[in-house]
Amino acid sequence: MENNNPLSPHIQIYKWHISSLVSIVTRITGIINIIVITLICFWFASLLLGESSYEIIKLFFQSFLGKFITIGITWSFSFQALSEIRHLIMDLGYGFELKTTNVTGMMVIIFSFIFTILIYLLGRQFI
Amino acid sequence: MRPVTKKWLFLKISSFILIPLMFWFVINFVSLYDKNYQEIVKFLATQPSKFLVSLFLIFAYFFSTLSISEVFEDYIHDEKIKNVANKGLNIFAILIPLIAIIVIFNLSL
Repeated sequence: MENNNPLSPHIQIYKWHISSLVSIVTRITGIINIIVITLICFWFASLLLGESSYEIIKLFFQSFLGKFITIGITWSFSFQALSEIRHLIMDLGYGFELKTTNVTGMMVIIFSFIFTILIYLLGRQFI
Repeated sequence: MRPVTKKWLFLKISSFILIPLMFWFVINFVSLYDKNYQEIVKFLATQPSKFLVSLFLIFAYFFSTLSISEVFEDYIHDEKIKNVANKGLNIFAILIPLIAIIVIFNLSL
C-alpha cells in the first residue's frame, strides 16, 4: 500500500528560528550520543583484553584530542538532556507561545555550555 | 491505545528516566576517562555503578531507537528501505547493550 503521509520538507527551505535550530541540533546530538555510547560499549569490551592492551586507549584519552572529544561528548549529552527537559515541559502544555519557545530554546543553548563547564569541573573534582 | 500513542508514551517515559542517568553517567565518564585500568574496572565492577551503567545503556538504546525511527519516518520515503533500516536499528539496539552488560557483569577486580 502506498504511504501518503506527509514528509518533512528539506532543511534548506526552513526559515531559521531558535526552535528549529534547537530541534535539528537535538536530532544531531541524539545520533552523535548513540554513536558515542556505542564506542563506550567497545571501550568497556576492551577491558576484557587486559591491562597491557588498555594502555593504548589510556594514552589516547590522555592526549589533547582525547580531552577535546571528552568535552565535546559532555556538551552533546548536556544539550540533549536540556532539550529533553524542554520537550517534557512542553508536553505538559507549557511554553508554546512564540516568545517563550525562543527564550527556552536560547536557554537550552546557553545552559548546555554552562552545564558542560560545571560537569567537567565536577567530574575532575575541581568543585 | 493506538501504536503511535504507545510509541510516544514510551519515548516520554524513557526520556524522563534517562535524563538523570545521563547526567550521572557523563559526570562519572569525565572523572574516569583518563584513569588507569584498575580504577575503571573497579568503578564498573562494583555496585551501584554496575547496575546504573547497565540501566543507562538499556534506556539510552531504547530511547535512541525510538528517536531515530522518528527520523527515518520523516526522511526516508521508500517503505522497504525504512523497514530494513528500522529492523537493523532494533537488532543493533538489542545486541550492543546486551554485549556491554555481559562484559560489565564479567569484569572483576
